[in-house]
Amino acid sequence: MPTGVTNSLTAAGHKATSSQRQKARGEKDFEPRILAFCCNWCSYAGADLAGTSRRQMPPNVRIIRVNCTGRVDPSFILDALNQGADGVLISGCHPGDCHYTSGNLKMKSRFALLQKVLEEAGFEPERIHLQWASAAEGDVFTEGITSMVERIKALGPNPARKD
Amino acid sequence: MTGEKVVRIEPVTRLEGHGDVTIKIGKDGRVKDAQFSVTSTRFFEKFLEGRFAEEAPKFASRICGICPEPHHLAAVKAVEAAWDITPPAPAVKLRRLLINAKQFSSHALHFFALAAPDFLAGPFGDPAKRNLVAITKALPDVSKMALQMMQFGQELAAAIGGTAIHPVTAVPGGMLNPFSEEKRDQFLKRISDVKQWTTSTVALAKKIMDDYVDVVTKLAVGPTYYVGTHSKGALEIYDGSIRIMDTAGEIVEDLKPKDYRKSFAEYVPEHSYATHVYYKPVGYPAGIWRAGSLARINIADKMATPLAHEALEEMRAKLGRPVHATFAYHWARIIELVQAAEEIEGLLKDPQIVNNDVKLLDVKPKKGDGVGCVEAPRGTLIHHYWTDEQGLITKANMIVATNNNIGAIEKSLMEVAKQVFEQKAHQKLKLPKPVIS
Amino acid sequence: MTKRIAMAQLTSCWGCDQSLLDLHLGLLEVLPELEIVFWPAVVDFKIKDLESMPDESIHIGLVEGSCRTEDDVRLLNLMRAKSKILVAWGVCSCYGGIQGLANQWELDELVDRKFMKADTVTDPRIPSENVPAFVPQVRPNVDVVKFNILLPGCPPTSKNIVEALAAILTGKPFDLPEKSVCDQCPKVKQDKHITKFHRSHEGRIDPSKCLLDQGYLCLGFATIGFCGAICPTVNSPCKGCFGPVLRVKDHGAKIVSALGAIAEMEPEQLKDSFPDPIGSFYFTDYAASYLSRMRDKARSKKK
Ligand code: SF4
Ligand code: SF4
Ligand code: SF4
Ligand code: FES
Repeated sequence: MPTGVTNSLTAAGHKATSSQRQKARGEKDFEPRILAFCCNWCSYAGADLAGTSRRQMPPNVRIIRVNCTGRVDPSFILDALNQGADGVLISGCHPGDCHYTSGNLKMKSRFALLQKVLEEAGFEPERIHLQWASAAEGDVFTEGITSMVERIKALGPNPARKD
Repeated sequence: MTGEKVVRIEPVTRLEGHGDVTIKIGKDGRVKDAQFSVTSTRFFEKFLEGRFAEEAPKFASRICGICPEPHHLAAVKAVEAAWDITPPAPAVKLRRLLINAKQFSSHALHFFALAAPDFLAGPFGDPAKRNLVAITKALPDVSKMALQMMQFGQELAAAIGGTAIHPVTAVPGGMLNPFSEEKRDQFLKRISDVKQWTTSTVALAKKIMDDYVDVVTKLAVGPTYYVGTHSKGALEIYDGSIRIMDTAGEIVEDLKPKDYRKSFAEYVPEHSYATHVYYKPVGYPAGIWRAGSLARINIADKMATPLAHEALEEMRAKLGRPVHATFAYHWARIIELVQAAEEIEGLLKDPQIVNNDVKLLDVKPKKGDGVGCVEAPRGTLIHHYWTDEQGLITKANMIVATNNNIGAIEKSLMEVAKQVFEQKAHQKLKLPKPVIS
Repeated sequence: MTKRIAMAQLTSCWGCDQSLLDLHLGLLEVLPELEIVFWPAVVDFKIKDLESMPDESIHIGLVEGSCRTEDDVRLLNLMRAKSKILVAWGVCSCYGGIQGLANQWELDELVDRKFMKADTVTDPRIPSENVPAFVPQVRPNVDVVKFNILLPGCPPTSKNIVEALAAILTGKPFDLPEKSVCDQCPKVKQDKHITKFHRSHEGRIDPSKCLLDQGYLCLGFATIGFCGAICPTVNSPCKGCFGPVLRVKDHGAKIVSALGAIAEMEPEQLKDSFPDPIGSFYFTDYAASYLSRMRDKARSKKK
C-alpha cells in the first residue's frame, strides 16, 4: 500500500474530538464526521492559518496532512467512508500551483471517476468533495469546511456508519 | 407418524449445477411426488443491467463453466442483432469452430465421466466404482482416450477463444484474434487421431446400447415435446432456426430465434430456483419439452455431415423417430460427437479459417434489442438484450439450455421413482455383467 | 500415502471444476496421489457423507463458488471444519466472483427481476419449498471462514491448480506471484498518451502493441499476474478476472488511481468514458470492494 500519509492531527481538528464521539441520535442532532485530506503545501497551511486566526469553523473535521493531493489514493477515501466517515474532503493547491506539478490534476480526474463509482454503488457522490485553497486562503478553506458540513448534514449520516 | 416417506438426495451428483431430489412416497407405498430442486441462482438477468453490451460475451460465459462457449456466442449474437451488425464470414467460421470444439469435448466428457460409469459399472453398481476416477483405474485405455478427446476439444477452443473456460475473443462485429496458419496446422495434424477416437467411441457406444437395450427402451421412457435448431432440416448448432416437435413426432413450429417469445415460456416451480421452460401454446405441464442431443436428433431430418448421418440412420432403424427414451440421450450425443468431429475437420481445411479479416472496424452501438440463439450441448440457449443509445444493456432475458430439460427431468424422475419404488422394475431389467465390479 | 481431498461447490459456474478436469492426461498423474472423499460433480458422495467425517480429516479442501444461499454458508462451514488445509478455489471463493456485482441491488430487486418480471415467465412466484433462503449479499468466503490458501482466477488455470496441489502435497509453501498481468504480457509497451478510450469492439487493434497504450481499457497493470496474460495475448483487454495484484485491497480504487494518472483528458471526459465503473473496474471482485462492504453494513443496519 502506498504511503505518504502523515497521521498528524492539529489545527482545525483539535476541538473536534469530543463532539465527534457523540452518537448521532437522529437526523436532527446529527453531527457529521468529516475526514479532510489536506495538501501540506497549501491547504494544510491554509487550515493552520484558519486555526491560528481563530476563525469560526465547525468542529466536525479531522484533518490528515498529505504531501500532495496526488498522493491521496482513492482507496483511502473509500476506506474512510467504509469506516464510517460521513464525508471526505480533499483540499489541494490551485491548478498550476501544485508543488509536484500535476498531483492535483490527477486527483481531479480520480475524483471525477470516484464520484461516478459512488453513485453507481448507491451512495451520494456529494459525500466526497474536492476543493482548492492556497496557503493564504484560510477563509476559503473554512468556507469549504462549513459548506461541506452543511452538505453532509442535508444528506444525513453515512448509511454504512456503525453507530 | 403417517408412514409417509421422504427420500432426499442431496446433492444430485455427476450433474453440473446445484440440484437436490425429493421423492415423496405415501403410506400406500405409492410415489406421490418427485421434485428436482435447483438450489441456487446468481441473478445474471439483473446484474447485466448497465454494463457495456460489447462486454456481455465475457459476462455471459460465466453463467456456465462447463459450456462457456455457447454463452459467449449467444451473447455476442444478441448484441450484433441489437446493433444490426453482420460479422465477416471468416469470423463466423471461427465461431463455428469454437462451438464445435466445445460440442466435441463436452460430449466426450459427458459420455465418459457422467454416463459411461453407470453402464460400465452397471447402473446399480457400487457408487464408489461408478465414476470416472474408478474408470481410470479399471479401464486405463478407455479413460486415456476419453481424456485425449476432451483435451483436443478444449485445446482447440482455447486456440480460438484465448482460453477454453471463459473465452474472450468474440466481440460485436467479429473476433479479436485471427487463427494463425501454424496453429491451424497443429490441429490439422491431430485430425487422424480425432477420427480414430471417434470411430472407437461409436463402437463402444453401440456395444453399450446393445447390451443395455432393455434399460434404454424400458426405463424412463416418456414422450415430451422437443426443441432444437436446424438449418434446412440439418442439425445446426451455431445459427439455426428453431423447430418444435410434438409428442407424436410432428413438427408443430418452425420459427426465427427473434420470435422465441411466441413459443418459449418459463414456469416457476414452488420448489426450484431454476424455471421450467416449456412450449407456450400448449401450456404447462402439457407443453414440457426436452432439448439437447436427443431433442436435436429428433427435430432434425438429417445430420449435417455424412458419417454422423449414417449413425443417425442406424439409430432410427432401431428406435424410430422421435425417440423418447431418456437413456438414448447417450447415443444421440455420440451421433453429435461424430458431426462435431466432421465439422471441425471441414473448418480446419477451409482456407478462410486463417483469414485475417475477422473484425469490422466501424461498429456503432445503438438503441434496440436483439436475440442470440445457439445450441449448447444441453440444449437451445437464448440470450435477449435490450441496449440504449450508448450501447449499455438496459434489460436482459435468458433461456438457459438446461432449464429446457428440467420439467422433463422431473417427469422422468417421477416415472423412474414409480418404477423403482412401486414396481421394482429395475430388478426385472435384463442387465449385462458389469465391466467393472 | 494418498491425501484425502474434497472438492465442494457453493454457488458457482463450475468453471474451476472444469479447469481441474482440463488437466486431462495430467489427471492420471495427480489422481493416484489423492483419495477423493467428496466431489459431487464426478463422484457419488452426498452432503451427509461429508457431515459424518471427523473434523480435520480431509487433508485438502477446495471450495469453489461463493455463498448466495444459506446452504452455501452451511457447506462452507462444513468444509472448514472437516479440512486441514482449506483452499479458496477461484475468484468466486476469494473475492465473491462475478455474482458479487448483484450487490449493487437489494435482494428483493434481484428476486423480483428473476422470478416475477422475466419476459418469458408466465406464472410469477417466488420459490419457497425445498429451496434454501438467499443471503442478502454475496460476501467473499474469506470473510466468513478462515482459509489457508488463496487460489484466485476465473478459473485458475489447470497449471495454477496443479502447482498449488503439488505444493500442498509436498508440504512446500504456496506463494502467489508479486507480478501483474502486464509483467507476463508479450505486447510492446511504450509511453502512454491516452487521449481517448476505445471500447473493446472499436477500431483496428495493433496486435504487437500494448492495448492500454492503444487506448483500450486493459487492466493488466492492476491485476495479479497468474494467468499468463491470457487475454491480451489474443488482443482482448484484460478485465481483471483474477482479482487485484497482491496487497491491493480494492481493485477498482487501484484502477481509478492509475487512470487518473495516465489519461490525458479532461476529468469530465474521463468520467464519461466509463458510464459503468463498477462493471468495468470490479468484474469479479465487487463483493470484496469497500463500496460493497459499505452497502453490506447499511443493509444489516436497516434490518
Ligand atoms: S471463479 Fe470463475 S470459473 Fe470459478 S466458479 Fe467462479 S465464475 Fe466460475
Ligand atoms: S496493459 Fe494490457 S496489453 Fe498493455 S502490457 Fe499490460 S496486460 Fe499487456
Ligand atoms: S488477462 Fe486478465 S481478464 Fe484475462 S484471464 Fe488474465 S486476469 Fe483474467
Ligand atoms: S502539492 Fe498541493 S496538491 Fe499537489
